[in-house]
Amino acid sequence: MSILEVNGLQKIYTTRLGGNQVQALRNVTFRVEEGEYVAIMGESGSGKTTLLNILAALDKPTAGTVILDGQDLARVKESERAAFRRDNLGFVFQDFNLLDTFTLEDNIYLPLVLAGKHHTEMRRRLTPIATQLGITDLLKKYPYEVSGGQKQRVAVARALITNPKLVLADEPTGALDSKATDELLDLFGRINANRQTILMVTHSVKAASHAGRVLFIKDGEVYHQIYRGNSTNEQLYQKISDTLTMLATGGERK
Amino acid sequence: MKKNFYWKLAWSGIRKNKQLYTPYILTCLGMVMMFYIMSFLTYSAVLQSMPGGTTMQGILSLGTWVIGIFALIFLFYTNSFLIRRRKKEFGLYNILGMGKWNLGRVLLWENLMIAVIALVGGLGAGILFSKLAELGMVNILQSEVSFSLSLRPRSIVLTLEVFAVIFALLFLNALRQIHLTNPIDLLRSENTGEKPPKANWLLALAGAVLLGGAYYLAVTIEDPVSAMVWFFVAVIMVILATYLLFIAGSVAICRLLQKNKNYYYKTNHFVSISSMVYRMKRNGAGLASICILCTMVLVMLSSTTCLYAGAEDTLRTRYPRNINLDVTTNELQMLDQTQGMRQAAQQAAQDQNQQMQNVLDYRVAAMATYLEDGRIVGEDGTQEGIGMSAYANLWQVFVVSLEDYNRLMGQNETLAPGECLIYSTKAEYQWDTVTFGDGEPMTVKKVVSDFADNGVEVSQVTPFLYVFVSDFEGDLAPLQALTDSDGNQLLEYHWFYGFDLDCDDETQMLIQDQLQVALNNLEIDQGETAYLHVLCEGAATERAGFYGLYGGLFFLGILLGVVFIFAAVLMMYYKQLSEGYEDQSRFEIMQKVGMTKREIRRSINSQVLTVFFLPLLLAGVHLAFAFPMIYKMLLLFGLNNQRLLILVTVGSYLIFALFYVVVYRVTSRAYYNIVSGAREEH
Repeated sequence: MSILEVNGLQKIYTTRLGGNQVQALRNVTFRVEEGEYVAIMGESGSGKTTLLNILAALDKPTAGTVILDGQDLARVKESERAAFRRDNLGFVFQDFNLLDTFTLEDNIYLPLVLAGKHHTEMRRRLTPIATQLGITDLLKKYPYEVSGGQKQRVAVARALITNPKLVLADEPTGALDSKATDELLDLFGRINANRQTILMVTHSVKAASHAGRVLFIKDGEVYHQIYRGNSTNEQLYQKISDTLTMLATGGERK
Repeated sequence: MKKNFYWKLAWSGIRKNKQLYTPYILTCLGMVMMFYIMSFLTYSAVLQSMPGGTTMQGILSLGTWVIGIFALIFLFYTNSFLIRRRKKEFGLYNILGMGKWNLGRVLLWENLMIAVIALVGGLGAGILFSKLAELGMVNILQSEVSFSLSLRPRSIVLTLEVFAVIFALLFLNALRQIHLTNPIDLLRSENTGEKPPKANWLLALAGAVLLGGAYYLAVTIEDPVSAMVWFFVAVIMVILATYLLFIAGSVAICRLLQKNKNYYYKTNHFVSISSMVYRMKRNGAGLASICILCTMVLVMLSSTTCLYAGAEDTLRTRYPRNINLDVTTNELQMLDQTQGMRQAAQQAAQDQNQQMQNVLDYRVAAMATYLEDGRIVGEDGTQEGIGMSAYANLWQVFVVSLEDYNRLMGQNETLAPGECLIYSTKAEYQWDTVTFGDGEPMTVKKVVSDFADNGVEVSQVTPFLYVFVSDFEGDLAPLQALTDSDGNQLLEYHWFYGFDLDCDDETQMLIQDQLQVALNNLEIDQGETAYLHVLCEGAATERAGFYGLYGGLFFLGILLGVVFIFAAVLMMYYKQLSEGYEDQSRFEIMQKVGMTKREIRRSINSQVLTVFFLPLLLAGVHLAFAFPMIYKMLLLFGLNNQRLLILVTVGSYLIFALFYVVVYRVTSRAYYNIVSGAREEH
């Protein structure tokens, strides 16, 4: 069963002066099955961020629908959006978005506190996640005291602690060095192995090569997709590179 | 062309940062205006010609300099906010190729523009409002009014000079700040990581102890003299304690709350408390300053208002009758010759067709002395040194005959030999007996609750002891034996004589003048050898001086109060604004993580409310505890009207709170706009 269905998504921005219309998304349609690990690739300006904002219910599409686990996002009331996001989605951002006034532990607890959970329950949920992510010793520290890779692992813990239906990752390796990138991608692989659905937006070929399927967006449309099949990461990396080259050199679409 | 460029850059810099610059320019303008008005009034010829006007101008000239110094400090403070906010912009210019020298020119233009706006606007407003202020003053002095607008070139020049110096200093400071930092730092100056504040339990505890001590002092001090001295000690303790509590205490409390998991991990508390820790660390000192400013304003407003409103009361206490005579001599027999003075007074009143009313007439044997276990020992005694304790034991003793007491107070007390009645003011008399020098102790039969006024008592700060004895001349013998180190007799005799008149102030002054002439002649008749001093005072003559003093204080209290309120409000505004910018990104993250706008708004409100109203609340508590001390100090000014003081104090607090709430509303809106602004731009 599909956990996410995106049908004919369209988004048009109107600039404030002159009334010029910019079409960020033209017609995006795809599905994500439960337990899948999908990477969305595209160049700057291809509409990746717009798509992610719509999926996160932060922005509304001009046309088309997004159905998450059978629920149409457009039907979720404005006042319930935040709670909906909190309960169903986990976010990992490029710049971590950790609050510098909280300890790492409290940062992870934030969505649970907002959901009104008891602190013993929070503690119970955190323990296995912290062990899995290898951040148990860091919990009492503050964001400014740890490295970028560690921060991103804490952000992943924050995304996972609500048991979300879908983890949305926006360029998660963008601010990390190569070692931390490798570690994080391994981590994503392991999380996905536990049947966690992940949707990652990236333009790093390396990041995308860890996914189970790669979607390519160009000029606001899904242009192409590659399934991993039985390929290794390296083979998938090669396929993605070829596709990107084709896209860049203007090869005609399928 | 090139000059134009800097000019334009400076102007657009100001315009783009309206939110920051408008209040700053208004502050400069307000300070210039206040300074000019003060200076104008100090040299105003209208005031000078009025009775009591010179006294008032003396007070005002002091006020002028207070405002000048305050303007310097305060403008520096607000200016530092501006520079901090704009460092990033300057860093960008720097990287784009503008040298620090060029940046300096932009800064110069900016400062010049602000200075011109502030000086022109401030002087304009000052000239307009100076007449209003003058009318207010004239009204306070209870005099006639003339309605002509005037300006005073001398004050204008003084204002220009003082503020030119202030603006020059501000410019140099800005220049220094720009020169000290390198471009990368300039760009980044707002985003430096911050260590989580540690709770300093020792300092927090010290703050609590100091505050407790100061409050204890304020509440327990009995006599006004000690109140006067200890007041300043208490003020310093309170100031220290306020800083300690705001800086260390607040962080400590937040940390305590964080340790209580059931309390901390609640939606409402989680975000608020953890950001409060940082907020208090950054703003503790500022908030403490605001709290102290508020307290100062309130104490000043309530006490000066009270003095002014109670001026008529005080006048009556200081001058118990319309015309008062105080005849001093060192020989009791000399007082027998006062019959002539009585007649002179009678004559003076009659010449103006007036009747003497409510006549006050009694004799007193007076001595300033130390008391040792209820024994009057004169001035040397066995006191070691002149410390506080010695000073607290210095009393002014007035011996009055029982006969006079019964007559004046309409009582019918009797005394057996060896007994006396006493009455004390400003301090409690602690012993059961009174002993005059080497004489036998007299038992205190009763402590009476009141005695006739004499005008001397309120003008002195020492506690007073009245001893009423049955045998006035006989009982005094042991006191007459007491001498100072030069062998002079310490005991003095006073004859207090006073009467009311049912006529206007001018007639009263005429009568007083005539009486004075007659008294001078009588004094000359006594010859050179006799020591006889006659003091003749009229309430009507003194009234103007009284209003000059109290009115001047009142006026100054209001003007400075306005300036300080202005200052407190602006500090709040800038604080919120700068925090808004810092919180912007934080709230953006919270929204992404799943916080609703309502939750964010609620969290903001609770934090802003706390930051805003904590100083006001603490100022209220300070004021409540300062109240007993203020009351006792006003006693020294001869004001004994607790109800008035309570009324005025509560009134000032409420008015102040009203101002505060208005500012809160404006400020929290500006803050919310900044915090939510970032999101809406998407």
